[in-house]
Amino acid sequence: MLEVRNVSKRYGNLAALEDVSAMFFPGEVHAVLGENGAGKSTLTAILSGFVRPNLGSVKLDGQEIPLGRAAECKRIGIEMIHQHFTLVPDFTIVENLALSRLPKLAALSKVEERAKPSLAAAARLGWEVDPAARVRDLAVGEQQRLEILKALGGDALVLILDEPTAVLGPDEVADLFRVLRTLRDEGKIVILIAHKLAEVLAVADRVTVLRKGRFVATAKRDEVDATKLANWMVGEMPQPPEAGARPSQFQPGLRVDQLVVKGDRGDLAIRGITFEIGKGEILGLGGVDGNGQVELAEAVAGVRQKAAGEMYWSGEEQMPKTGYVPQDRQTDGLALLMSIEENLLIGGVREKALTRGPLLRTKAIRAWAKELAGKFDVRGGGPKDPVGALSGGNQQKVVVSRALDGGPELLVVVNPTRGLDIRATQFVHDTLRSARDRGAAILLISTDLDELFALTDRRYFLSRGALVADAGALSVVGG
Amino acid sequence: MKTRIGQLALTVVGLFAILLLTLAAFRLPIKDSLSLIVHGAFGDKFGWSRTAVKSIPLLLTGLGMVVSWRGGMYNIGGEGQFIVGGLLGGWFARWGIQAGLPPAFGIAMILICGAVGGALWAALAGLLYVKRGVEVVISTILFNFIAIQFLNWAASGPLQEAKHQLPLTDLLPDNWMLPKFDRQTDLHAGVFLAVLAAIAIWGFLYFTKAGFKLRVVGENPRVARANQIQVMRTKMLAIMVSGALCGLAGGVEYVGTAGQLGAGFSQQWGFLGIPVALLGGLHPLWAIGSAFYFGALFSGSENLARFTPAGTTIVYVIQAAAVLGYVAMKALNDRRITPKEAG
Repeated sequence: MLEVRNVSKRYGNLAALEDVSAMFFPGEVHAVLGENGAGKSTLTAILSGFVRPNLGSVKLDGQEIPLGRAAECKRIGIEMIHQHFTLVPDFTIVENLALSRLPKLAALSKVEERAKPSLAAAARLGWEVDPAARVRDLAVGEQQRLEILKALGGDALVLILDEPTAVLGPDEVADLFRVLRTLRDEGKIVILIAHKLAEVLAVADRVTVLRKGRFVATAKRDEVDATKLANWMVGEMPQPPEAGARPSQFQPGLRVDQLVVKGDRGDLAIRGITFEIGKGEILGLGGVDGNGQVELAEAVAGVRQKAAGEMYWSGEEQMPKTGYVPQDRQTDGLALLMSIEENLLIGGVREKALTRGPLLRTKAIRAWAKELAGKFDVRGGGPKDPVGALSGGNQQKVVVSRALDGGPELLVVVNPTRGLDIRATQFVHDTLRSARDRGAAILLISTDLDELFALTDRRYFLSRGALVADAGALSVVGG
Repeated sequence: MKTRIGQLALTVVGLFAILLLTLAAFRLPIKDSLSLIVHGAFGDKFGWSRTAVKSIPLLLTGLGMVVSWRGGMYNIGGEGQFIVGGLLGGWFARWGIQAGLPPAFGIAMILICGAVGGALWAALAGLLYVKRGVEVVISTILFNFIAIQFLNWAASGPLQEAKHQLPLTDLLPDNWMLPKFDRQTDLHAGVFLAVLAAIAIWGFLYFTKAGFKLRVVGENPRVARANQIQVMRTKMLAIMVSGALCGLAGGVEYVGTAGQLGAGFSQQWGFLGIPVALLGGLHPLWAIGSAFYFGALFSGSENLARFTPAGTTIVYVIQAAAVLGYVAMKALNDRRITPKEAG
């Protein structure tokens, strides 16, 4: 039995896990369920020794596990199967299997011998593998099998799978579940991290739900259904504060017609979607990360070229002044070593009032940046201080104020409050509401359901580059 | 501001300490060695002149590195751009002297040819990056070798001196050289040009739209892209301006000091621009000080080499130790200002 007791983990001001306890039993598939940011990944990272909690303890069969020491955890039989594969593409299957049982530096590598237990496990589970095949030639599903086989190369007592189905097709999911049941029947503790309700209901014997870093509930499979789990996941469905007061008719603003957008690798990220946003309306787009959100946002913001389809503003092809809040402030939103003033200027450099021909009007810029930072209450540094020295919330204020400067008619906002505390979240939300109230059309893309329901008038969900309507929202998020 | 002065003080003290450690490692008498170095660099008007003359190409190529590195283009090809700049200038000179052009116009044209040649040579690497994703760190190094071969070929082929005996071009006539301040020393008017270039690049980076965009692209291209700044066009600009500065350095060296082209035309000036830029904190005005420091270090350590058993090795060791030491100090300093927010 694996016992988690009062575990907490904080990153700065952000509580990733707050006083979570849970028990995982041998011979059970135990699903841990929650939205993005619920703390699932942090919990698994703690169980597998990759992250050391600030408080609390974890016991395996009565023995404390060596917290924060991944190699030790592996040695005592806790195996983690990561969401992102940890394989060497240029190695063969045998070499990759042997790699997870690495000998001491001085010992012989004995690749064949070290891979043997894993290959035996493959035979037991009914998987055919070609030991000499190179990993880079394998399909994604096969690579994942290899990850599981790596974990079965020792005497694993606990198997943790972090969102293993995210990359799999339906047949592969069914096969994975068959294997999980087999492993369960062998008496292992199987921990499955998931956010798709249907999959959890299909395979789990027991479910634990986390929300915003806190423990919500644990129940046996028979005691729950999709609705109950969904309610646990998102909590009481928040109502928009002024529900009903909002108009149902809007002036036509953005119309997106059969839009197709390609991803960085030429894949079809957005597969022909159509929607409208009225002036003074916030349209919400939910869904799990990696379903085309970033590509859609960039296309609408004019940063990425569309592959096909049309976009109109008030019936015209000419797009209006657009503000863009990209998804990750540290990688896409800010130049961390540049000053606050310079980071604001990244957007303002297009303003006529701040430039004279090819030159910058430094005095005008100083005054403008000061006013903007004051208006959006950026605290923790003067205009000349590096933006990287600010707290996350204040960094985000810089990004948001830059996007909103000059009153853009169209706003594209992606996960604007990720990683922010309540006060900063509230500030960003209020800012978006007031932009809406002055007539901006806002596309809010967020993986946070609470945020979508709090801010938006209408919602769609993105699933593999296509839109799914509001009505099935939860089931889409669920599976 | 306070911290910046502190950093400067730390850098000066650090560089001095590194110099002392290097001398100690060679078991040289510290006091005598220092006095030889100082005398070589500043002892008399010859010393001052040597120091200043060496600072000129160092500053120009250093500025070239400042521009490209600030724009996120890690140009290592200053050497090739320097050579091609000189070569294009040499080609123009050969033609212009025969055509009987007025010398002042000829000098100006050689300098322009230098800048154009360097910019075009750098543009090749830039295009390979923009169109095909070839890393400039690799391509610019390789273009250096091509440029060196070009130089050798030209100096023993189409541009060879009239007697066809040495792999060198004809020496420029005196009136085709930049004016010198004093008959006895080598210091030439190029020093004004270099300082002017530093001021111009400072103005460009900090007071123009294009310079600001260049710095944003270098700092974080994803942010630039999200704000509709043309990343590839900006990077192209960065490496071409960089190449122009390195090529200009080649032109200045040609009409200022060398007067002819041959295998020994560049004393690694293109490569040495990198430590100059780094020690100057990638800032064009600080680069003036750093070019002067390296210029003094070179003329000083050359003097030291004449009087010590370690010979010329000591010159390179002192230079290398200064660069490595500076990089280490910079790393320490950066660690103090890393962003607060952690994953």
